[in-house]
Amino acid sequence: MTKRKSDLTKGRGRSAFQKFVSSDWGRLLVIDVVAVAIMSMVSKEYLSTFNLFVITRDVSTMILIGFSQAIVLAIGQMNLSLGAIGGLVAVTSGGLMAMWGWPIWLAVLVGLLIGVLAGYLNGMLIVWTGINSFIITVATNSIFLGLNLGMTHAKPFYNISATVKAFGQARFGFFPYMGVVTIILIVLMVILLKYVVFGRQILATGGNWNAAEISGVPVKRSVVLAHIISGFMAAVAGMLWMSQLGSAQPMIGVSWLLPSFAIPIIGGVALTGGGASIGGIVLAAFLLSIIQSALVHLQVDPYYVQFLLGLLILSAVVLNELGGRRRRA
Amino acid sequence: MGIISRAFKNIGKNWYRFGLFFVTTAFWLFFAWRATGFLNSFNIFTLLRFASVQVMVGFAQMIALSAAEMDLSVGAIGAGVAMFVGALMQLLGVPYPLAILLGMLLGATAGFVNGILVVKTKINSFVITLATSSMFSGIMFITTKAKAFTVLPQGFVDLSRVWTFGLPISPLVWIMLVVAIVLYFVYSATSLGRKILAVGANRRAAEMSGLRSSKIRITVFVLVGIVAGMAGIMDAARMESAGPIIGTEWLLTSFAVPAIGGTSISGGNVVVFGTVLGGILTGTITNGVLLMNVSNFFVNFFLGLILLLAVGFDRLQKAYRERTSVK
Repeated sequence: MTKRKSDLTKGRGRSAFQKFVSSDWGRLLVIDVVAVAIMSMVSKEYLSTFNLFVITRDVSTMILIGFSQAIVLAIGQMNLSLGAIGGLVAVTSGGLMAMWGWPIWLAVLVGLLIGVLAGYLNGMLIVWTGINSFIITVATNSIFLGLNLGMTHAKPFYNISATVKAFGQARFGFFPYMGVVTIILIVLMVILLKYVVFGRQILATGGNWNAAEISGVPVKRSVVLAHIISGFMAAVAGMLWMSQLGSAQPMIGVSWLLPSFAIPIIGGVALTGGGASIGGIVLAAFLLSIIQSALVHLQVDPYYVQFLLGLLILSAVVLNELGGRRRRA
Repeated sequence: MGIISRAFKNIGKNWYRFGLFFVTTAFWLFFAWRATGFLNSFNIFTLLRFASVQVMVGFAQMIALSAAEMDLSVGAIGAGVAMFVGALMQLLGVPYPLAILLGMLLGATAGFVNGILVVKTKINSFVITLATSSMFSGIMFITTKAKAFTVLPQGFVDLSRVWTFGLPISPLVWIMLVVAIVLYFVYSATSLGRKILAVGANRRAAEMSGLRSSKIRITVFVLVGIVAGMAGIMDAARMESAGPIIGTEWLLTSFAVPAIGGTSISGGNVVVFGTVLGGILTGTITNGVLLMNVSNFFVNFFLGLILLLAVGFDRLQKAYRERTSVK
């Protein structure tokens, strides 16, 4: 495994173990493994093939939700409308299949297009008006959700194509078919942020807007592009969620806001922009799913989940902040 | 210079606030024309009562915005406080004025937790309150099992039911107006209000001129907690039920109402009576759209659009003023 440059300079004079633990994802990997080890001792079924499948399938969408927020955080902005985009995409592509019998590929394509358009709209509104991304996406969230509920009257489409339903349940051993989509997108994200000019420009814009602008980075285009990627990821997550549920539920996406921030934050993405640790995001998505599944296995009151999720975010940001302060000192 | 000419000058300077007034009037006229039963006195009563809760929700966020902070936990605090007050009244038989006071105290405590966390960790208030919001509603769900309290004392329910002075105005509206006057006074005539605005406009500058910004910001979050708690209690009185549904839709409302009213999102200024009008506008639209039998699911869509228009308009007008003010 190749070491990142920052890890090399950060860890000078420390043991390999220290370097590993102090990296963005090393610590998380240790936590993930420990959590799974504890759970496998507590509950025999925890490592059963089926439970691993459930966890991995859950992770497949969670990672995309994390990406959707992380790419916007990377430019120092936010997207509060990603859940509404996911929901809108799920009901339109589901509706096209159920009501008009469109072929799957066309319905999926339209779904992706809606996600991209919604992201484009967010980005353009932010760039044109110069208004805080928070306010713009609070407003568009409401607009997308209103469109979704207005079209569907909050009624799900159950008659989506059987292939799509089967896709959500299909697996190789414990590994869900859905995971393949996620792996492809993970690879694309890594390539985009490491080797593609657009991706580098997004990070540069987030790192230091003025410096990026002066050195000729098209900052506005980078902002719009980040929002388009965000909309695309939300769209894919929405359609995967639909195939997992086996119906196009208008309520898809309503619960995404908290995890969308929790995953990048726990994964070590700075809210001030300029970076996005893909490994951290993936491991953080695993951590959330491991914990949620553990709470189900331990028959913890589901109401505790929300409390614990909040506590987890809070401790993660506080730890990151303290770590950051120590590093700067 | 007579008073009248000065008043005209003021109108010229603040025409956008009158603009909001005209927009609201236009919506009233439109709904009076198109929506059957809109001007029915019972509907007016319901509308104003609903709008006063919206205004209170807007006030809570307006206070946070005035100090250039955000509080995403207003809904969670509102629900938690409402459930707490409901439990006190239904399970312990606490008289309702005392229960309300204790509820406001709980709101203040929640706000204090937010404030301390934001100040001590130096992390963006958005993230802190996103996390505490989830924790507050978690605690509320764990303790109440999400069961609504519906056996509420007569005096409490009367806060929303009674017609005052023979007019279709419930006591909730008067409570909202009193809070509006208090807030107007705080921001325009007290040193606390001035300090909050100074910190909101430019924290570094405020600190350099000797203000203790951490203390002021904690106070701001406490105020937000109190007002959000009051909004929750008022919503419980309005629905005659203290249930976990309170606050679930407040995120958009809390930002839309002050933003429509002209409060800047980036801190440093507040328009208290603009927020009142903003709440009446969103309340009117919600009410009117429902009466017109447009699928009520589109309400969200319209409110989002109105928020976009409001902030866009505000931005345009600022750009216009910058261009025209040659000194």
